[in-house]
Parts: sequence; C-alpha cells; structure tokens
Amino acid sequence: MSHAEHHVSSIKLLAIIFGGLVFLTVTTVLTAQLDLGSFNVPLAMTIAIAKASLVVVIFMGLKWDNKVNSVIFGLGLLFVAVFISFTLFDTLYRGDLTNTTKGTIQDQVLMEEGLQSREPAPSTLQPDHTP
Amino acid sequence: MANPHSDHPAHLQHHFVSSEQQFDAAKMGMWLFLVTEILLFSGMFVAYIVYRTWHPEVFAKSAELLNPFLGGLNTIVLLASSFTVALGIHYAQKDNKKGLVINLVLTFLFALTFLVVKYFEYTAKFEHGVFPGAAFDPHGVSHGVDYATYNIPYARQFFSIYFVMTGIHGFHVLVGMGLFTWITIRALKGEFSSAYYTPVENCGLYWHLVDIIWIFLFPLLYLI
Repeated sequence: MSHAEHHVSSIKLLAIIFGGLVFLTVTTVLTAQLDLGSFNVPLAMTIAIAKASLVVVIFMGLKWDNKVNSVIFGLGLLFVAVFISFTLFDTLYRGDLTNTTKGTIQDQVLMEEGLQSREPAPSTLQPDHTP
Repeated sequence: MANPHSDHPAHLQHHFVSSEQQFDAAKMGMWLFLVTEILLFSGMFVAYIVYRTWHPEVFAKSAELLNPFLGGLNTIVLLASSFTVALGIHYAQKDNKKGLVINLVLTFLFALTFLVVKYFEYTAKFEHGVFPGAAFDPHGVSHGVDYATYNIPYARQFFSIYFVMTGIHGFHVLVGMGLFTWITIRALKGEFSSAYYTPVENCGLYWHLVDIIWIFLFPLLYLI
C-alpha cells in the first residue's frame, strides 16, 4: 500500500522534542529575569525561533513531507519578512512629525529678517563693568 | 456495475487517482491555509513591532503588568497539547484507536486549560480597568502593584495590541476545541486508520500553528 510511505515519528523522538521545547520555555522565562541590556530581545526571539523550528520540522513533519509544502511555508515566511522590513523602512525613518511651525517658509524668513533688524548694535551688548 | 464504489476504499473520492494523491492534495491545501493564517497574524505582529520600536520603554514597563508565570504555564500547556496531537497521529498511523482517542481528548483538555488560565488573566486585568481601547483606565492596588502608575502615554496601545492578539489567538484555540470534538467523535466511530487519517493530520497541523503563534506571543508580550 502506498500509505506505508508516510513517515511515522517514534514516540521517543516526539517525547525528546517535547522535552526540548519545555527546556527552552524555562530557559526563556529565566533569562528574561536577567538584565542583559540590549541582548534580552534578540535572545528571547532566538529561543522562540528555535522552538517554532522544532514544532515545524518535527511535530508538523516538514522534514519528511513533500517538499512543495516546505516551499509554500517558506514563501509565506518570505512575505512576512517583506511585510515587516518594508513597514520599518517607513516607520523607523519618519523623523519628528510634531516638530512643525505655523506659516510658510517665506513667512519664517520675513519674521527672521524683522527680528534681525531689531538686533541691538554689538557695542551695546558689552558687559557692564560698574560694580 | 452494481456498486460503483466496490473497486476503491470508501474514503477515496472519485476525482483522485489514489489515496496518496488525495492525502497530499488535502495536506497541501492545509499548508496554504496555514500561510493565510500566518499572514493574518503577521499584520498584528507588524503593529506590535512598529509601536515597540517607537515606544520601547513603554512596552517594557507595560509588560510588567502581565504575569510571566501564568504565561509560561500556558506555554507549557500548549506545547503539551502539540505533543499529544502528534502522539494521536502516531497512534492513527499504527491503527491504535484507543491511543488516538485518548490523545485527542487530552489535547482538548489542554486547550480548555489554556482558555481557563486566560480567563483568569483577563478578569484580573479588567478588575483594575486594564481594558483595550478607549476604556483603558488602570486603577487600584493589587499585590503591591499600583496600577495607576501604569497609566502612561502609549500603554493603551500596548494593552490594545495585547488584547487583540491574545483574543484572536484565543478564538483559534476555541475553534481548535471544536475541531477536536468533531475528530474525536469520528475516531470513536472508527473512521480513521493507517489508510485514512487525513482530518487528524490536518487538524494537527492547524493546532501546531496555533501553538507556534503562542510561542512568539509569549516572550513578546510577557517577557521583553
């Protein structure tokens, strides 16, 4: 029968993977209590990706599956990466949108020139030496 | 021909050449569906990432209000349910009906446990005015935590993202419980064997994906 070709994962392998997943969960909870500065986020994400990989490769059986399913899954991940990175190209480089002033640039120049014409002569700005 | 179905197994539909082709087609369809699920959640993950890069200190502080040990417990519960559903498929492939049914029931119970823990987490937040959206108004003191000090700008965005992401994930857990009820009933009727267990396999794939989403939600919301 053709169904005999289906890969059957042994109970031992499934139990080892489950143990590994629990170990990684405990590890990520404990390391999150430490203050590693900027390394906390990459470490937590690395552990999460390792756990997700174990589930996808062993529990979901992509390792033994028809390769077309790996391609479909990989394409999905590619589009997620595009989604995240292209959104960040925008949102990370917007600058300060609240730093705006009223009026046009010409208004600004005129106002600046007006202020400069009222500027006192440098001599009047000398420090006063009288006690 | 007296009986047009006599020359092939009952589960094999006429538009497929073989059981193997039918199984592969169903499974590929499931993977395509899972990709749409991943893209659904990726929209929310992008919202999380954008707000976190804008206000990292608010996200780090707001996450303190979530209990990492309840979240960790729920992670272990979902991992255990992934393990039991994988065991169930193992027993289906070995024609072990009893092993299949026991593991499907265990998976259902783990899913129920997850939602019960989530219920207690949600109600603890609602008691102190931690709601999604405009109703966000943290107040009161519990276990030495003064909720009012968490009413800072953009904390509202963190908790809206928290409730929407865990809420939609929780809805998927609920759907999974419905699926496993259906699969368990069919298994009890003896509909599955090593020659035909496609629904068990595909519900298992769905369930593992729900687990994977939580694997990412847990550190993002509770830990970092």
